[in-house]
Amino acid sequence: MRIAVLLSAGRHPVSGKPTLPRTEAQAIRMAAGLGAATGLHVGPDAFPAEAALGHGLDYAAHIACAAGSDPVGPLAARIVSDAPDIVLAGRRGQGGDETGLVPYAVAARLGVPIVPDAVAMRPATDGLVEIDQALPKGVLRRLVVRTPVVVTVHPAAPPPLPFAFGKARRGSIERIAAAPTDLAAGAPPPEERPYRKRPKMMRAAGGSAADRLKAVTGEATAGGAKVLDHQTPEDAAKEVLAFLRRVGVLAPASAAGPGRRPAASEDASRHATS
Amino acid sequence: MTRLRRDPRTERAAARTSGAERPRYDLALKAAPSRRPRRDPRAEAAAQRVPAAARLRLDRSQFGAATVVATHVPERQTDKASPKPIIVENPDFLVLVVPDMAGGRLGEHDRQLFGAARELAGKTGATLALVGASSADLGPAGADRVAVVARDPDAYDPDARAAEVVAAMRALDPKHVLFPESADGGDLARRVSVLTGEPLFTEAEQVSASALGRPARCRKVEQRSVPTRLISVAADSVASYSGAPREARNEQVDLASGPAKTAGAIVSATRIPADPATVPLALADFVVSAGNGVTDLDMFRQVVAALGATPGASRVLCDAGLMPRAAQVGASGTVLGASCYFALGIAGAPQHLQGVADCEHIVAVNTDLHAAMIARAGLGIIQDAQLVMPAILEELERERRETGT
Repeated sequence: MRIAVLLSAGRHPVSGKPTLPRTEAQAIRMAAGLGAATGLHVGPDAFPAEAALGHGLDYAAHIACAAGSDPVGPLAARIVSDAPDIVLAGRRGQGGDETGLVPYAVAARLGVPIVPDAVAMRPATDGLVEIDQALPKGVLRRLVVRTPVVVTVHPAAPPPLPFAFGKARRGSIERIAAAPTDLAAGAPPPEERPYRKRPKMMRAAGGSAADRLKAVTGEATAGGAKVLDHQTPEDAAKEVLAFLRRVGVLAPASAAGPGRRPAASEDASRHATS
Repeated sequence: MTRLRRDPRTERAAARTSGAERPRYDLALKAAPSRRPRRDPRAEAAAQRVPAAARLRLDRSQFGAATVVATHVPERQTDKASPKPIIVENPDFLVLVVPDMAGGRLGEHDRQLFGAARELAGKTGATLALVGASSADLGPAGADRVAVVARDPDAYDPDARAAEVVAAMRALDPKHVLFPESADGGDLARRVSVLTGEPLFTEAEQVSASALGRPARCRKVEQRSVPTRLISVAADSVASYSGAPREARNEQVDLASGPAKTAGAIVSATRIPADPATVPLALADFVVSAGNGVTDLDMFRQVVAALGATPGASRVLCDAGLMPRAAQVGASGTVLGASCYFALGIAGAPQHLQGVADCEHIVAVNTDLHAAMIARAGLGIIQDAQLVMPAILEELERERRETGT
């Protein structure tokens, strides 16, 4: 199985130094378990390709083009000529506008499906691949998809392989000059100004100190609260189990066994988010 | 609350008594009354008094229960009882909102999305929610119109959802289309953007009728633009709608004009529930937590396994080395996103309660009736957790025997 990994010019969130984005390094690890992988970077600098070699790739291609130009055309042309089975990308490429649109645009250009938020992949029989997709609250969705396919990687995927300097020296980078593209092809670039950090939204602002404390610790359950005093432990246990069943986190007594929840109550209990 | 600014000259002029040769002032006469209600500490204390207690006990959570409002202060018009919904009969334009509505309910991010939509719609525009199932919360959240699209909530077909949104865009011609920048919503927004060929303003952190703002280049710059047609709104950056409820009128949308359906490349999709024993605490759906009232931790682990929950602990147990630090719940540990939390022998320090603020259902077992955890719980049981744990195991075992035989 042949895999292409899309690489972008990220920056470290704390130090600000150029680095490979974490999800792309995770994508390299995921690709290493599937077959022969090549890296693919479009941009003015080659360092993402070099960093990718250190994280486990043997070979990467760097398509040089001017900063700010659209990477989708050169990427799609290269992928069409290489014809990989799977194109892996991070959740959102860094260094440019960071819209996360590049994998989608590449998939649309190639006419192949895109599967977001993968945490694990396994090859299946004849041209199929099994992809585990991360959903909220640790739930997975196992998809069987026909290749070729574009897949983006979720941060919950296995951690990236550590950077190895020797590996980065041994790997090879192919340097390609992209055909010049006109910069002003799409919409005019938006106005830019230095980033200003803004205060985070609070759930409930203002009020007294007691109000703010209530806002962060959660409202005391006033109306529906039930407090049971002077109960034997046995009655208390019955009350607790009945409550947990009413809420839907515990299977009914008639179900197969303790601790196993049926699919229906699984869905019913998933409503509370964030 | 802001106090009215006093004008001493006017107050003095109002207090001036007429008829005297020299200027004379009646300083005992109060000028314009303050709008702040006058407090009566004695009445407040009487209202806070816990009746059954033998000793004097004051329930301090009843703050301001007996605040006496000065009689001459005009009562503010309160129309909380029956707020009339705001109706936009002939909107100049539409703002299409595509909320996630996980589990058929509006989440916090969805509400913020409606807040952003109301900001863009202003007084003359109307917001239209494109949802899978209608909900009574949509009107108060800020939806003027609601279009219900019948779809199977369990099926996974993101291309079909994108085609639905594109069809709705063709039928309604909205000025803006808003998506939440969540896992599902962000994916849908990008699919719609690629399908229509229109640019998407992703992860907007500032939304107003005149400009949108988003971070770019590793948060080194922020990009600003006039509101584009397709916008995805970042979480926790825009306030949710707080005005009077909107109409949420049902509207029929003809989705026949969507792009042609293509053969899906997805052969099968199966949902695999999370394993409670291995799922990280922050992602767990049901957490059973032990505090200082639990001494037998082997039995606690048995209870956790029997209930099919994820184990948690209070700071005391983690500091003592009895539970791993990764299991600590609270401000300095993990902030939970669980739907149900079962606290065994936990009194509920404010730092611990911060960790469970988002939990919808809480059960607490504690020996102290006045513990903060009991006040926070939906079901509070005043009993020793060490006695309740074996009772729970026994009860589950009895049920298993009864259904097994």
